[in-house]
Amino acid sequence: MSIYDKIFPPKKMVLSNGKTVLKPASRLPLIALILVLFTALSVKITGFDLGVLRERGSQFFVILGMMAPPEWGYSTQVWKPLFDTLKMSLLGTVIGAVTVIPFAMAASTNIVKNNAAVGIMRLFLSIVRTLPTLVTALIATYVFGLGTLAGTTAIAVFTFAYMGKILYEEIETADMGAFEAMEAIGATKVRAFVRAIIPQVLPSYISNGLFCFEGNVRYAAILGYVGAGGLGLILNEKLGWREYPSVGMILIMLFVTVFFIETVSRYCRRKLV
Amino acid sequence: MIEFNQVGKTYSNGFQALKDVNLKIEQGEFVAIIGLSGAGKSTLLRTINRMHDITEGTLTVDGVNVMDLRGKALRRFRRRIGMIFQSFNLVTRTRVINNVLMSKVPDLPFFQALFGIFPKKDKLEALEALDKVGILDKAFVRADQLSGGQQQRVALARTLAQNPQIILADEPVASLDPVTAKQVMGDFLRINKEMNITILLNIHHVDLALQYAGRVVGIRAGRIVYDGPATEVTQDILDEIYEGKTEEEAVG
Amino acid sequence: MNKQIEKAYEERPRNTVYQVTVSAIVLALLIWSGSAVDVSKTGLSGVQIAGNIISGIFHPDRKLLFNLTLQGVPYLLLETVCIAFLGTIVGAFLAIPLSFLSASNLMPAPIAYVTRLVIMAVRTIPAFVYGLMFIRVSGPGAFTGLLTMSVCSIGMVSKMYIEAIEDLDTRILESLDACGCNTFQKIRYGILPQLIPNFASTVIYRFDINLRDATVLGLVGAGGIGAPLIFAMNAYRWNEAGAILVGLILLVLIVEYISTRIRVKLARG
Repeated sequence: MSIYDKIFPPKKMVLSNGKTVLKPASRLPLIALILVLFTALSVKITGFDLGVLRERGSQFFVILGMMAPPEWGYSTQVWKPLFDTLKMSLLGTVIGAVTVIPFAMAASTNIVKNNAAVGIMRLFLSIVRTLPTLVTALIATYVFGLGTLAGTTAIAVFTFAYMGKILYEEIETADMGAFEAMEAIGATKVRAFVRAIIPQVLPSYISNGLFCFEGNVRYAAILGYVGAGGLGLILNEKLGWREYPSVGMILIMLFVTVFFIETVSRYCRRKLV
Repeated sequence: MIEFNQVGKTYSNGFQALKDVNLKIEQGEFVAIIGLSGAGKSTLLRTINRMHDITEGTLTVDGVNVMDLRGKALRRFRRRIGMIFQSFNLVTRTRVINNVLMSKVPDLPFFQALFGIFPKKDKLEALEALDKVGILDKAFVRADQLSGGQQQRVALARTLAQNPQIILADEPVASLDPVTAKQVMGDFLRINKEMNITILLNIHHVDLALQYAGRVVGIRAGRIVYDGPATEVTQDILDEIYEGKTEEEAVG
Repeated sequence: MNKQIEKAYEERPRNTVYQVTVSAIVLALLIWSGSAVDVSKTGLSGVQIAGNIISGIFHPDRKLLFNLTLQGVPYLLLETVCIAFLGTIVGAFLAIPLSFLSASNLMPAPIAYVTRLVIMAVRTIPAFVYGLMFIRVSGPGAFTGLLTMSVCSIGMVSKMYIEAIEDLDTRILESLDACGCNTFQKIRYGILPQLIPNFASTVIYRFDINLRDATVLGLVGAGGIGAPLIFAMNAYRWNEAGAILVGLILLVLIVEYISTRIRVKLARG
């Protein structure tokens, strides 16, 4: 019996044949109350106002309107930053995804038997995951200077955090039978891991890596904003100078690239599973 | 009373599922329909509450011509006929009691149905239905935490809460293990005897059919090839129904 | 050796060509992407700065961390939570019609495809571009942050909604049909009970992400904890940045813990 049932005791219902059933009190009223209160608080703090939206909502489309028609001639200058963004994301994803492997292994209860060690490793992964990517990128620009190296680092850290959790969950749900069988015929732990666990985890590992890469391309476009190189850099510049047709061109090229990458990656992921 | 008169059913793709079916089932009978997969058992069952339309002949239930029913009248007619499926068809993510209460939904006024407010009478009836199939203690558990046999009992309770005169069961035990299958068949028999509800069920397990049902209807390629008491079914008759394939079928 | 075994050995599946091609492509892409890395700007000063940053984070500005005025970390965090909360809710509502329009089991293929393209386009535009657009509507502040966040949530939320819609178990509708329910009752009792737990789980997950991403809003002055954090970092006031970061990390860890528990409960009951 949970605490909730103690505060709000279950209702007794009597059937026609004399049997009784306890009906636990519904949690819905409490949940609804919390949601309503929090919404009210949020509306007050953020100044949410539908009237403003109704009156000035059309202003949202002003900049969007100014982007059309896009400045087609500008496209020649977009290629290099666009490729920089792609390179940053690709390299960052690979570095992050590879370096996380030993950490994820150490955070899996079925590989490491020491609960304290697993707990510390998981806390570490959690904390890395809470670091906002933007902060990582800013710090990286201070350490590595402005440019793509900073962006690559930020993406690698983000990938590390994202893949870490997924990977250790994947390793933990792997079937340990094959691992034990390998150990039973005299293989070392590492070798048993390579032959028995990796084949089970690999398809979803690559699939998640590809998924992460898709997201990273979008993220990389933001990172340039803080000076970490790539598309965000020129996007920031053109927005600052209010050259909206050029901004439109950048966004269109980013869209086509993301569309292309997602299509290829979805095809690969479907083949993997 | 359910009465088939020269009933035929041709699907839109030209497949003839039922041919010249004549059948009369009195209130309170327990009828098992046996036959190969694809012989038309399921179609036969589903014409009774008009989940499928018939294309020839007439089908009456308590004097009502089923093919004359439309919209609201059809829905009211279906209230009197319960239906059980092989795959239980429960909303597994809500509590058992909510699944049983679903059968009360068509009688609720719009706003009560919208917010899911059921009168106390309905709730008690739902609980009593659960009691009848012996899983009263699971009433407030989420349906996905029950075993297959328990889930089929929830489906049975849902149908009972509807106070039906007829229960149609489409392969009710096909996805259950042998022991649970017997328990569920026992539930059907008890309901049939105690509440005088007509029960029609499709079944692959010939031995269960012969053991529990009072009457057996054998179907082959859309035609009724046997109709008589379960006690009089012989190996020759089974051979006739299953075209000599009884062995594999009975085991399966 | 047995003829059959020899034959089986001869006929073993061989995909060396495939494997070599894939490896070559991956390797080529990696080398190509390596060309973007320019290490020349890294120097000793970088290491020194890194040291300063880390020491700042481990010695957070306590005055700021426990300051209960409108400039203190607690209030900024509350504001961020509120932005993320309402932003997620608004985005979750906006995503509902879009995801029903692009569910391939409900809609004709062309409509579903076009709506998916729209969702992808909405997702491609970076957050700070939306921020600039919304500032014209509601001026700098938390309201703009909320609107930006809601639009940025649409992409992922509708993607997960679509999966839930496409996974619907339609057999339940058959049994509701058999007990005489009309279309409204079938939707209310057959479809909503299946969708609501999935949708709720998605929204909670997205709230988690939005809280993490709330710093991005600071870039365009759209409220929350992002702007003070970025100002502090740009001014090298690492103790201040440390205080804000510590607060944010603690908050995100707590929210993540709670939201994971709720989502497990939604999935398993």
